[in-house]
Amino acid sequence: MKKIVTIMLAAVMAISLSACGEKTPTAPVATEIVIGSLQDLSGGSSVSGIAMDRGAKIAVDEINAAGGIDGKLIKYIPYDSKGEPQEALTAYNRLVDQDKAVAVVGPPISNIGLAMTDTAAEKKVPIVGAFIDSRVTMKEDGTPQDYMFLVQPTNEQSGTIQASYLMNELKITKIALFYDKTNAFGVSQVNAFKKYVEANGGEILTEQVFKSGDVDFKTQLSKIKESGAEGIFAPNYPKDNTLYCTQMNQLGMDESIVTMGGLEFAPPFLTTLPDPSIVNNVYFALNVAFDDPKLAAINKLYIDTYEDAKTVDDISVKVYLGYDAIQLIAQSLKGATEITGVAVKEGLEKITEFDALPGKISFSTKSHQPLGLSMVMYSIMGGKNEKIGPYVPVVK
Amino acid sequence: MFTSYHHLLKGEMTMSLQMLINGLSLGGVYATIAVGFALVYNILKFSNFSHSGILVSTAYIGYFIATRLGTNFWVTLILTGFFGGCLAILVEFIGFRRLRLKNVNTMLYFVSSITISMLMQNLITVLFSTSYYSYPIFFKTTSFKIGEFMFVTTDILMLVISCVALVILQFILKKTRIGVAIRALSTDSNTTSLMGINVTRIVIATFFVSGVMGGISGMFLGINYTLYPQLGGMITKGFIASIIGGLGNVSGAVMGAFILGVMEVFLINIDFIGASFTPVVTFLVMIVFLLVRPQGIAGTITKEKV
Repeated sequence: MKKIVTIMLAAVMAISLSACGEKTPTAPVATEIVIGSLQDLSGGSSVSGIAMDRGAKIAVDEINAAGGIDGKLIKYIPYDSKGEPQEALTAYNRLVDQDKAVAVVGPPISNIGLAMTDTAAEKKVPIVGAFIDSRVTMKEDGTPQDYMFLVQPTNEQSGTIQASYLMNELKITKIALFYDKTNAFGVSQVNAFKKYVEANGGEILTEQVFKSGDVDFKTQLSKIKESGAEGIFAPNYPKDNTLYCTQMNQLGMDESIVTMGGLEFAPPFLTTLPDPSIVNNVYFALNVAFDDPKLAAINKLYIDTYEDAKTVDDISVKVYLGYDAIQLIAQSLKGATEITGVAVKEGLEKITEFDALPGKISFSTKSHQPLGLSMVMYSIMGGKNEKIGPYVPVVK
Repeated sequence: MFTSYHHLLKGEMTMSLQMLINGLSLGGVYATIAVGFALVYNILKFSNFSHSGILVSTAYIGYFIATRLGTNFWVTLILTGFFGGCLAILVEFIGFRRLRLKNVNTMLYFVSSITISMLMQNLITVLFSTSYYSYPIFFKTTSFKIGEFMFVTTDILMLVISCVALVILQFILKKTRIGVAIRALSTDSNTTSLMGINVTRIVIATFFVSGVMGGISGMFLGINYTLYPQLGGMITKGFIASIIGGLGNVSGAVMGAFILGVMEVFLINIDFIGASFTPVVTFLVMIVFLLVRPQGIAGTITKEKV
């Protein structure tokens, strides 16, 4: 028994002595950089949210595999915003206060982006997202929302390009509008579209609206048919587009009236329909060309990683946006002396000619919106996507 | 001058009749929702919002039956209705059986029904919200024209099947022993029990029938309006229809549903109301009914509760 006690005491003393030899610990040095993400991983727009999240993850893996940002690995934390601004706010606060995120990848949802601006300014952790409504990144007085950054063309750019194409290339001047009045994504594009049409001699014959959650559009579509419109501008979300195309087909309007549809008609939209051939006479503008050789590597990686993607047509443009958001955040922190939200914001503002997937990106210091991004026109005829080519709006 | 006025009038009339057709078709779906909802109110005297869970679950069940088993429209409809009925029995067992046997306050039934509805919707969200699902094409012809009027195949089918289902339901309620028992229970549960009728069996039967109606509506909603986890929100239409028609009154719910369908279509067509203000007007109508005529339209038209 004495022997055991002696051995134990000796062991305790040895441990104590070895502990005495250790240096006093210094302040912890950050070995990882936390980047959060707020995406609709469930709910009505989860297909877009999941795509954005997957794109961000691909970028994080790529950066970490190459040694991280100045030797520091990225820890990526996504939260589900469930399509609800309140959920997004709660998750943002958790990311900043609890997880110590220094930047957040924002959702492709303008309504959520609009709800985040004040909190982001208060917490000083930037959100880099795909919210197309320009109010998310620019205040009414023409100054930027300090901590909000956009990675794709704005509503004005998108609305103007689509109006110009409809009027100047398709020679359609009698136009109807059909959009979700409760969705900033549609409303903001409609405003820019209308402005161009009215300034260039076109005519808005009727303006038909619906609200989020509505499912039967036949009355509105019948009114559009009755108005004699030759083209419809319908910048709506994918679920609404599915219903729109089905009901346009049911009413026999898909063959006779052209739809300028907005970027949510982009892949994987057609793959979500049981019969894509009902989609006819639809045009839309996108900020990337899917056959761009620059996208080949990420497309292959995506198809190899995710079982639900078989071809490029199954890949959402949101994948590229999520990917670019992370790459831009990483670029902003390269060479930074401190890892904070303020450093990310200042770094993003200094980025010039960053080689992003859709082209070279610099952020406007006035609006925090990307400069120099062009758009590519596409059409859908008989359920098939056709690339038309880059398009620059005609300014008269 | 006269000819152009005549043409204009004819155009207006065609448009109005077309809207009436569209409104009645919409009313057909609302009617099946409303009846499933009203049946349970009828016997247990509470607004059964768990019915929204049945709607959304059966919409997905129908999809999986059609795509995995490759069944045609009719087989899918029958199987979905059956599964809807079974699911409703399960809901009754989990959510309401103990409450009923303990004779608790009706408010607790209501709370339980809301909880189950949220539970089912969240379950569907977790399981299925990562992808889009759409029913296979059952009919080659999506629409057809008779004269100047356009008929959408699924809408018309929905209207016809809703009407047939409602007629069968009326037959069951009026002419069969179980139907008579359901009606007896809806009038006075204590006396029914004293008469030696097994109340639990009648409640189960009612939930089953309500679930079958829910299955039919769920499948139609899925076919016509795509599948998404919030699809069960359409229960609001059934609820409004029930208020207009008279809560717990099956015939009233049917009438309320058709009125609601037609009213919605006509309101959307009015320029200064449109789709944005249509729900506001609908809810105002509902409040007026609650304040002025809580027994609903059917309060005098239909004397019986069922």
